Amino acid sequence: MTAHRDTIFLEEAEILERVAWEGDQYWLKVKAPKMAATARAGSFAHITVHPLRPMRRPVSILRVHEAAGEVEFLFKVFGEGTALLAERQVGETLSVLGPIGRPFALHSERPRPLLIGGGVGMPPMVFLADEIRRQHPDFRPLMILGSEVPFPFRMQPSEFLVPGIPEGVIATLPLVEEWNIPCRLASLQGYPGCFEGYVTDLARRWLDALDDDQCAEVEVFSCGPHPMLEAVAALAREYDLPCQVSLEEFMACGVGGCAGCVVEVQTEDGPRMQRVCVDGPVFEARAVFG
Amino acid sequence: MITPDDESLLRTEFCGLDFASPIVLLSGCVGFGEEYSRVAGFSNTDVGAICLKGTTLEPRPGNPPHRVFETPMGMLNAIGLQNPGVDVVVNEILPQLDFTETRFIANISGSTVEEYREVARRFDDSPIDAMEINISCPNVKEGGVAFGNDPDMSARVVATVREVTEKPLITKLSPNQTDIAENARRCIEAGTDAFAVINTLMGMAIDIESRSPVIGNNQGGLSGPAIKPVALLKTHQVWQVAHPHAVPIIGQGGISSAEDAIEFLIAGASAVGVGTALFYDPLICPKINAGIADYLRRHEMSNVAQLTGSLVLNERQACGC
Ligand SMILES: Cc1cc2nc3c(=O)[nH]c(=O)nc-3n(C[C@H](O)[C@H](O)[C@H](O)COP(=O)(O)O)c2cc1C
Repeated sequence: MTAHRDTIFLEEAEILERVAWEGDQYWLKVKAPKMAATARAGSFAHITVHPLRPMRRPVSILRVHEAAGEVEFLFKVFGEGTALLAERQVGETLSVLGPIGRPFALHSERPRPLLIGGGVGMPPMVFLADEIRRQHPDFRPLMILGSEVPFPFRMQPSEFLVPGIPEGVIATLPLVEEWNIPCRLASLQGYPGCFEGYVTDLARRWLDALDDDQCAEVEVFSCGPHPMLEAVAALAREYDLPCQVSLEEFMACGVGGCAGCVVEVQTEDGPRMQRVCVDGPVFEARAVFG
Repeated sequence: MITPDDESLLRTEFCGLDFASPIVLLSGCVGFGEEYSRVAGFSNTDVGAICLKGTTLEPRPGNPPHRVFETPMGMLNAIGLQNPGVDVVVNEILPQLDFTETRFIANISGSTVEEYREVARRFDDSPIDAMEINISCPNVKEGGVAFGNDPDMSARVVATVREVTEKPLITKLSPNQTDIAENARRCIEAGTDAFAVINTLMGMAIDIESRSPVIGNNQGGLSGPAIKPVALLKTHQVWQVAHPHAVPIIGQGGISSAEDAIEFLIAGASAVGVGTALFYDPLICPKINAGIADYLRRHEMSNVAQLTGSLVLNERQACGC
C-alpha cells in the first residue's frame, strides 16, 4: 500500500505566460519542475484558485517541458472557481498539486490511436499526441478535435492526407502538424476548414475508410463533455475497438482521501464507485458506459 | 517530522494514547490512512492520530454523484459512507498500516444499534488504537444523525458499544441537535471515554438552472471555515459538561491554521481535528504544529495540555442578539 508514496508534488508555481482566448478559454504556462518531470498524458493538476476558496480545481495538463521544468494548462471558465483562476496573472504563483491520476496507456499492438478531444477535453489529447510522437514514432495516429467556441489556437491547413476525410476539411492544430501527427477539426459553428458535424461523425468516416486489418489496429482515446464521451464510447463499441476515456467530476482532496469524485464503474466484481482522481481519471469506456 | 524542540511541547496523552501532536486527521478526509502519503512531504508521523473512513458491517457503495460542492468558505459533502465493510478493513487494510507512525482510530457507523455493536466487536479484535462512534453522519438514510439527534438513542449506542470493547471510545457529536450538552452528559453516563465535536452541519446548494440540488443526495454536510464559530461554541459547551468527568474532546470544524487550532484548545479541546483544510493545503499539519509550538513558547507554557479549557469568559454575558 506504500508503493504510491511521494508520487504527487505540491509546488508553488509561478505563472510565466498567460493567453486569453475567445470563448473564455485560458492558456497558462507555469514553473513546476517536479510535475513537469513526472506527468503523463491524462494526469492532471489540482490547483488553488484563490486564498479564500477552500476547494482546489482539477485542471488537465496540456504539455510538459521537462528540461525547462514548465507545465502548460488550457482551461475554460466553467464556474466561479475557474473564473478566479482565469484572473490570475503572469508573475503570480499558483499552488499546484500533481501530477495526479492514472494516465492513458498506449499499446504497441494497436499502432493506430484515434484521439478524440472535445472542448475542455482537448488538452489531454494534445499531451497524448506529444507522448505518441516521442515514444511511438512508428504509430499512425489521427487526432480529431471538436469545439463550439473558436478553437484556442490559430488554425492552419494540414499537409497530411487522411483517408475518409471529406474534401475541404483541412484545418488542423499547428502544433500537432509540426509533430507530424494528422489532425482534423469539427464544429457545428461553420468555422473555415472544419468538418461541420460531430467529432464522432468525422471519426466514423475515417474508420469506414480503413480496411479490416487497419481497423483492428485502432484504439480510441477521448476526453470531453459527457455526452460526447458517451457517443465516442458507442462508436468504439460499434467498431469493436478498445476505448479509454478521461472523466471529470467535482473533486475535493484529489489524492484519494475523500471519495468525493466518484463515478460508477462496472468491474469484475460488479458495479463499484471509483474515484476519478486516483482510480481514474482515465477509465475503460466499456466500464463506464457499458 | 516534528522537530525535537517542538516535540515535548506537542506530545500529549489522549485517553491513555500517546499522541505525537494534538492534531487528528478527520474521518472521511484521509481515506483509510494511506491516501495522503501519496503527497511528497506528507507524513503520518506529523499527527497524533488518524481517524479512518466511516465503516459499516457490510460494504456500502455510497451516494450517487455529485458528492462534493464548494460553498462560501466551506463545502458540502454527501459521500454516503462508502466503505468496503468492517471485515475488509480489519483483515486487508489494517495490516498494511504502519502503527509505528501514528495512532489509528476506527470510525464506526450502523443503521441499527446491533450493527454498531457488531462493527465495534470486530474492531475490538484488531490492532486499532481506538474507536470513534459516528452517531452524527448526516448523509445516510438510517442511523447516523438519526441516533445523534436523540440523547436516548445516542446513549444506547454508546452503552451497547461499551459492552464489547475496552478500547478508548470517542463519541462524535452532531451539531444538528437542540441540546448538545445534554446529549454529551448522557453519553458520559453510557461510558464514552471522549468526544469528537462537531460533525458537519446539514446544508443544501441548488443549481438554479435545473432547480435541483447540486448534491446527488440532495442535502449534504457542511464543513470548512464556514462552520468554525459554531464548532467552537459547541466544543466549549461540551467541555463544560465533560471536563468535570475528565472526558477529553477532539475539537473540529473548519480548523485551517495554528490560530484556529489554538482557539479550539482554549475552548476546551485536548486534540484538534483537521479535515477539509487538507484539501486546500495537504502539507498544513507541520505548519499547525509549528504554530502551536511557537504560541506555547511565547506564552511560557511547557505543554499543549496546559491550553485546554483555558478560556477566560467575559464577565458580562449579553443576550447575544
Ligand atoms: C468529504 C468528507 C467526508 C466525511 N466523512 C465522514 C465519515 O465518514 N465519518 C465521520 O464521522 N465524519 C465524516 N466527515 C466529517 C469530518 O470528519 C469532520 O468532522 C468535519 O468535516 C468537520 O471538520 P473540518 O471542517 O475540518 O472538515 C466527513 C467530512 C468530509 C468533508
